[in-house]
Amino acid sequence: MYDYSEFDDAYVRGRVEQFRAQVERRLDGSLTEEEFRPLRLMNGLYLQLHAYMLRVAIPYGTLNSGQMRQLAHIADRWDKGYGHFTTRQNIQYNWPKLRDVPDILEALADVGMHAIQTSGNTVRNVTADHFAGASADEVADPRPYAELLRQWSTDHPEFQFLPRKFKIGVTGAPNDRAVIRSHDIGLEVRRDGAGALGFRVFVGGGLGRTPMVAQELAAFIPERDLLPYVEAILSVYNLLGRRDNKYKARIKIAVHEHGIDTIRALVNEAFAERRALFSGADQALLTDIRAQFKRPDLSPRDIAPFVAARDADPVFRAWADTNLAAHADAGHAIVTISLKPQGATPGDATAAQMRVMADLAERYGHDELRISHEQNVILSHVHRADLPAVHAALKQAGLATANVGLVSDIIACPGMDYCSLATARSIPIAQEIATRFEELKLEHEVGPLKIKISGCINACGHHHVGHIGILGLDRAGVENYQVTLGGDGSETTVIGQRAGPGFSADEIVPAVERLVLAYLDLREDAGETFLQVFRRLGAQPFKDALYPEQAQRRRDAA
Amino acid sequence: MQHDTILGPVAARAEALNDGYRNHAAIAVLRRALSDPAVGRIALVSSFGAESVVLLHMISVLDRSTPVLFIDTQMLFAETLAYQAEVAAQLGLSDVRTIRARPEALAAHDPDRLLHKADTDACCALRKTEPLERALEPFDAWITGRKRFQGQTRSHLDFFENEGDKRLKVNPLAHWRPDDVQDYMINNRLPRHPLVAKGYPSIGCAPCTSRVKDGEDPRAGRWRGQDKEECGIHFVDGKLVRGPVADDRPQEHKEPPMNVIVTDTGFAADDRGEEFQPPEETGAAALDLGSDADVSALIGRLEGVEAIRIAFPAFSDGRGFTMARRLRMMGFTGRLRAAGHVIADQYAMARRAGFDEVEITPELARRQPWEQWQARADWRAHDYQSRLRGAG
Repeated sequence: MYDYSEFDDAYVRGRVEQFRAQVERRLDGSLTEEEFRPLRLMNGLYLQLHAYMLRVAIPYGTLNSGQMRQLAHIADRWDKGYGHFTTRQNIQYNWPKLRDVPDILEALADVGMHAIQTSGNTVRNVTADHFAGASADEVADPRPYAELLRQWSTDHPEFQFLPRKFKIGVTGAPNDRAVIRSHDIGLEVRRDGAGALGFRVFVGGGLGRTPMVAQELAAFIPERDLLPYVEAILSVYNLLGRRDNKYKARIKIAVHEHGIDTIRALVNEAFAERRALFSGADQALLTDIRAQFKRPDLSPRDIAPFVAARDADPVFRAWADTNLAAHADAGHAIVTISLKPQGATPGDATAAQMRVMADLAERYGHDELRISHEQNVILSHVHRADLPAVHAALKQAGLATANVGLVSDIIACPGMDYCSLATARSIPIAQEIATRFEELKLEHEVGPLKIKISGCINACGHHHVGHIGILGLDRAGVENYQVTLGGDGSETTVIGQRAGPGFSADEIVPAVERLVLAYLDLREDAGETFLQVFRRLGAQPFKDALYPEQAQRRRDAA
Repeated sequence: MQHDTILGPVAARAEALNDGYRNHAAIAVLRRALSDPAVGRIALVSSFGAESVVLLHMISVLDRSTPVLFIDTQMLFAETLAYQAEVAAQLGLSDVRTIRARPEALAAHDPDRLLHKADTDACCALRKTEPLERALEPFDAWITGRKRFQGQTRSHLDFFENEGDKRLKVNPLAHWRPDDVQDYMINNRLPRHPLVAKGYPSIGCAPCTSRVKDGEDPRAGRWRGQDKEECGIHFVDGKLVRGPVADDRPQEHKEPPMNVIVTDTGFAADDRGEEFQPPEETGAAALDLGSDADVSALIGRLEGVEAIRIAFPAFSDGRGFTMARRLRMMGFTGRLRAAGHVIADQYAMARRAGFDEVEITPELARRQPWEQWQARADWRAHDYQSRLRGAG
């Protein structure tokens, strides 16, 4: 794991003092509200429906137990005793007071963390595969590159006032768990024919009101050219991106309007210039960074306790079957701790739960935790022999929900309960769906199914790439939920298609239930997933399930 | 103070009036207020909210030419504006004056109408308190619809109040209970504010008013979630509660017309004798580039150019930073100036991107004095870029 260098430490502390002064200057009138806004945004501070919201970065989703405990401490001392993990590997506190924020930032600096560039029209927190450094399918750990990009993008003098926000995602594996094709820049670590490391580069992806799948900008960029190449893309975007309409300002629109070939030509031109600016100091730094991400020493032990527990305890078995992923080392497993107990707010964790997870990481997980974009917490290296003890501790803390990847493992944005942009509630809908499937006891039979819910057109809940996506809108003062089908956020990214007219808040949960029951009828066997059935049969049978009256009319007419 | 010389001290008059009217009904208090010479020139201030129609109706019965001041904060519900017109017409009120904040004050303090999110008090001050203060200037007294039952801060309300020794405040409905208001509206068949039926028993500006649940205080929907109960146009415990309003009256001394040049060593006057020319001007020693200029067009034309100035139309428009970097990459070594809306917090960015100096207006220089720029003149420190590029 990356430890802050003296340079990093001095930097974040300087930033805290700068922000402390900016808060003072806002209060004494030196800064207008208009001028203060981007400055507070650069430090992760939003104004939401009820209060300020502070968004803290968890770069590439990795943190240690000390950092997790500090997040718990902040929740207790300055907030309401909990935090909300987001779809971009951040944690949000929903109730900080403006005057406390500099102290919170200082507490973060104490453990090598910050809230820098978690909002505003700048390069945001760089996200990465949450199984990085642990999964079996990895070409290389993407986090050293993400850390290099974090340092490069931090306070980059050219790119603090871009036309719009800019998101970069990195995956080190061909199985894309980082949704890179939905990012402004998506990077896939790969090797060329000679075995040298480099990147396949995608540009122009994004969800929001105009969802677009990123296009390939370069098939292979050598590792050493990462920074100048990314900088070239940003410099082209900074000048070309539209500033007349905030809804058309993202790079995806520039790619769409000018065409990928024009963008590529401009980027290559800028790249030729920028390359000369990097003397190789970045590569030396990368080598240092990489050394810090070395996989911990995973000593072999007998896995008999795991096998015994699995045979003896059906509750443990259910949890192990859904919440564990294959580790590169067969004796170990990757544990996903679900923050989606049925009926609760997806992604919320109390300070006490954070401390339990920190303790488990310290004791059984080589002091490493991850936050996934699916709003769960991950222990990346746990020996199988320790899993029964981990499960028992999680159960006690209300963290042993066995639903990872299943119906109730729902991504949802904060929605109208917290967000001033939202036009509908999303968390209550997620809660009702999860509760309903818990009642039906069907979840494990249904298997992998991603439901994603956004409370407005800005799509923070990623509904476009949900197998079932739900978009809450306001239709003449009434909440109305539209359903999209067949979306996919993996390496085969597809934007879901809209099924038809929307449903009221009362109708949406039964509609989802009809969809899932239809899938169970349509699948050939238990091994065929919802998405596979959708791809085999198309949308029609699912639309028939959603709108039975129309299906009946169609049958009558035929 | 000038009112005192005509009518006597406000405090003494308020006390005398309260004594005289302790057991009177609202309409009697109002009649006295409208006719008593000890009260002086008077106006009704009305929000045309949920219960305003009661006083408006009483006024229409007693004297429909009484000035009615309606504060349009320009943040009101559309329903309120429609209701205001309907009520004024139906009751035949002949002197309704709509009060609004001055456009220049709005432009200066709340250009994007978001002030209410950042600082509710300042928003109330800007849109309500300050405009009302101006509108009340010619009056000796004003009438409000405040009632004791409306909350802790109003539980000791009297009919007549001394407002900061400046003027009288008359609260004819001070002792009314919620049922009295309802009965009066029913008995007189008065039109209701359309939002009341939708769950808003107390109505202010749209962004700061929310629905109230059964059993909640009727005013719970005002500034919900904030430690705020009054907008600042009323007293709390005898003290005038006001949000800060910056003094933006025209300055008495004349501004120097010259812009200020900021460098690492401080503020200075512009020492460039020559004018900056448009980039099409061949042979010019100093060029002016717009924020949308194509820097590539200058390739091969930088010979003999001593200075280039790049415009920043808004501090949030960061194109100039990349333009400066490109000019430096193209080999330009002359003086590079960022001009326009660049703020102190961006000084380090400007220097790191390749600018030598920043040109700002006298207004900005006054608001953000040198010390604030100096705080970011350490642009060489804590710079990730020089570390990554090997330049530092």
